[in-house]
Amino acid sequence: MSTPGHDVPTSPPDRHLGLLAPVDLAKLSSLALRARTIVEGALAGAHRNLHPGTSLEFTEHKEYAPGDDIRRIDWKAVARTDRYAIKRFEDETEMRVLLVLDTSASMGYRRASVSKLEYATYLAAALAYLVGQQRDAAGLLAFDAETRARLPPSTRPGQVREVLTALEGLRPAGVANPGPALDAVAEICDKRSLIVLFSDLLDAEAGPPGDAAAGTLADRLRQLRGRGHDVALFHILDPDEVDLPFQDLMFFEGMEPGDGRTLVAEARDLASAFREESAMFRQRWQTLGIEARVEYRFARTDTPPAEILHPFLAERAGRP
Amino acid sequence: MHFVAPALLLGLAAAALPYLIHRVGKRRALSVRFAAMQLLLRSERRVHARKRLREILLLVARTTAAASLPFIFARPFSEQSTDLPVISLDAQAAVIILDDSASMQRRSGVGTYFGRAKARALALARQFPSDSELAFLLASAGAPPRIGELEPERARVIEAIEGTTCSARPADFTTAMHQAALILAGSSRAHRRVYLFTDLQATGWEDGAGLPAAAPEVIIDDVTSGAPLPNRAIVDARVEPSAEAGPGGIAVTVEIADYGKQAASALGVTMRVDGAAVAQGTVELPAAGHARKRFLHAFSGESGGSHDIVVQIDADAFPLDDRRALHVEMARTLRVLAVNGDPRTIRNEDETFFFETALKSGIPGALVTSKLADDVSPEGLGAYTVVALLNVAEPAPPLAAALERFVAAGGGLFISVGDRVDAATWNQRMARLLPQPLGLLRTAAALPGQHAGETIDERPAERLLPLDRRAPLLAAFPEEGDGLLSARFFKYMLLDPVRDTAQRNVILRFESGAPALVEREVGKGRVVLLTTTVDREWTDLPIRPGFLPLLRETARHLVGATDEETAAAALVGESRVLAFAGDVHTLEVRRPDGSVWVGKREPGGSARSVVFAGTDQIGLYRVWGAGADGTFAAQPAQDFAVNLDPRESDPARLAPEKRPDRVAAARPGAKPPTHRVELWHALSAILILVVLLESLLSLRWRRTDSGEAK
Repeated sequence: MSTPGHDVPTSPPDRHLGLLAPVDLAKLSSLALRARTIVEGALAGAHRNLHPGTSLEFTEHKEYAPGDDIRRIDWKAVARTDRYAIKRFEDETEMRVLLVLDTSASMGYRRASVSKLEYATYLAAALAYLVGQQRDAAGLLAFDAETRARLPPSTRPGQVREVLTALEGLRPAGVANPGPALDAVAEICDKRSLIVLFSDLLDAEAGPPGDAAAGTLADRLRQLRGRGHDVALFHILDPDEVDLPFQDLMFFEGMEPGDGRTLVAEARDLASAFREESAMFRQRWQTLGIEARVEYRFARTDTPPAEILHPFLAERAGRP
Repeated sequence: MHFVAPALLLGLAAAALPYLIHRVGKRRALSVRFAAMQLLLRSERRVHARKRLREILLLVARTTAAASLPFIFARPFSEQSTDLPVISLDAQAAVIILDDSASMQRRSGVGTYFGRAKARALALARQFPSDSELAFLLASAGAPPRIGELEPERARVIEAIEGTTCSARPADFTTAMHQAALILAGSSRAHRRVYLFTDLQATGWEDGAGLPAAAPEVIIDDVTSGAPLPNRAIVDARVEPSAEAGPGGIAVTVEIADYGKQAASALGVTMRVDGAAVAQGTVELPAAGHARKRFLHAFSGESGGSHDIVVQIDADAFPLDDRRALHVEMARTLRVLAVNGDPRTIRNEDETFFFETALKSGIPGALVTSKLADDVSPEGLGAYTVVALLNVAEPAPPLAAALERFVAAGGGLFISVGDRVDAATWNQRMARLLPQPLGLLRTAAALPGQHAGETIDERPAERLLPLDRRAPLLAAFPEEGDGLLSARFFKYMLLDPVRDTAQRNVILRFESGAPALVEREVGKGRVVLLTTTVDREWTDLPIRPGFLPLLRETARHLVGATDEETAAAALVGESRVLAFAGDVHTLEVRRPDGSVWVGKREPGGSARSVVFAGTDQIGLYRVWGAGADGTFAAQPAQDFAVNLDPRESDPARLAPEKRPDRVAAARPGAKPPTHRVELWHALSAILILVVLLESLLSLRWRRTDSGEAK
């Protein structure tokens, strides 16, 4: 009996096609291509697995795919069948990944880079692609105030394509309300799954950390964690929402429907306070993530997605 | 509030400019749909209060500045009711006269009438239209004009009024009004007015209003509002020698007057000598009447000394005349040796008769010893303070030598001549004592003019030239020289000319210019030479009223001290003659307030005295002198006191028919007069402050913001 191993990144990925900036990625023809590009950049010559097996119970062979640990190639099977095969163990067959995307109107904000929703789809597509490549089950749940897309995790053929198609069809609209969507997660994922949430966390219902609504979102994430799910939170913000680089007299108005909030101000007067507020905002969600044992990842939309994905995958690869 | 040019207020619309610019600026804002409104609003809330306050402050400052300009150009003013003369609202040439005489120091409520007059004069000066011309005078005697020409700069006049303090001098409205009329005569303005702020005390108008025929209009502001002004005052205080008080005794007589309608029972009177209360008493003072109080006091010792005497009564609303000061110099006991050179059997023909009689009468306590020339012992001169050689033919050489020592040691020598005097011998033996060598006899050739009440003497005679009262010996005489200038001199002795020196001084001269009375300082003493007789042989001076005081002052002068009968005191404003005694070349007068006046004798000059005119304070004045070694030493014999002019104690008002103004009575029910208060000055100041504030705030906040942005 052998112990399935896992790979750890030996070095940051080299800058090549996979490290394209988001605006450059957007020029690629399809989301599938973007996903593959990102994955290649994130993996950068190392094989990684989102959820390496830990069980000693062999169940089946699986055809080798990029990202698989080459040490787990069953050379006997290769000799018999002349095809590269990987031994799969019992736990590995249970790998389910649900990608949860916030598609509220605020996710559509963009100025110099891609929108937050586009950026989220890049990350989600890359993960779906990687999961599909590993013959694992990938699912999708998109929401604003309502559920906009729902694909339960599945390993059936064509699942990844459907996920990518659904991702490509997402448009920012509506008011964010993650509560019902996260409730639906419980219905979709009856088994232990990796749930990856992409959001700017600026939703009106979620509110800022510390509010009741934010408490609700954190509670729901905590509940999912309590049910045995592995939860990761990608906090996506536009650079403008980090630095407020405007210099002039600005008329700001909310993006989401029914949001009548406006503000006329000299942006440079607010810049300093805004930077502090934005930093505190991220810090609070990070703290909440630690408390709820939710992996928190912050992503600026001007950062190459591979740079965001690489440490995520590397850390997961390092887990027992 | 009213405006001179209200149409300019249309410019107030400019006040909306800062707000409109602010709004236009808002409309220029770049619009952006922003997702992180929560963070933005939270940030805005953090800086909101500060930013909002800044915006409001700057907007208010800019709006105020924009609104101020048309407001200022419209010349706003307010009308306030006033009890000041309403005619001051016309543009005019005006002279403000402020009564700063002593009587204005009378208390009224919490302040004085002077304070009230000054405040009203200030209010009037501010009330005049800005195109008026003003001058400012004071009404006390001898006060120089503060602003003696019409001045268009009102602030200067106001500053001059504010800097004025009340004096202790008496009032002299005549001079002040005359000055005012002269000032206004040079103005071509239609309205020329004199405004006088006073208590309307009648004594200041004794010489009339001082206004010419084409006089300017006079407006008198009676700051007492006609209120009764009761007053009790010490109007005189005299010191006399008093035998009843014993050796060194004096009697101080105080005259107290009441100027009210209420008698005072048991009014307290106190006498202080050298600061210590030595006597107290009371007087019954009738309403509008006078009372006297006499105090006796004895000074110990025989050697004299200077003393300050202050008498005072219970205080009232006018404290300046409730006390009076005197300075007395107690003379050494005067011991005179009269050497009789022409004894006669008939008493009144004797050479010493008039001399001895005058001294004994004029100086109580004086011891006069008469001896023949041959009986005088040269060794015995030390027992006397003054030796008088009266028509002595020729002093024996031992006597002449003894007299030199006597005078050099501080003794006084008086010499009078006559038929018996051998001038050549005198000039030989007494050369070191005689002020000038004796010369020929001169007999008057012309008949003098006749004086009223005189017995006509048919002999030709000369009189004396007018007195020079700067000579200390003559300071006590009245300016007219009564009793002295009427004396006739039929014969006198001429003196040979000598070089003028500081030690020699001609005190009196005959009409011919020949010296009549000459003094010389020798060592510590003095020699006084009279070039005629002290009996009636050559002159009728001995029977003239001036003979006694002349001899008395001469005797005092010879012993270097005043006596107690003429305590040194002057009234405010009176000048005082101070002597350069001995080698003193600089005199200091230390006033009651501590200020010092310095008088110097010109190097090599022959001046024996200096006139001090700065007696503008009430109290005791101390005199110090510096001799050749430059060291100052007190000269208590020259100390003196200055008291209030008793005319200032009389509060009687000028009779209405004598008032130079014509005050129209207000019509019953008439609207009280108002005066215009210009507001644009204050608004301009506010505008400048606002603009400065706006600039400072903008600069400071810009720096703060740029610091934060970094």
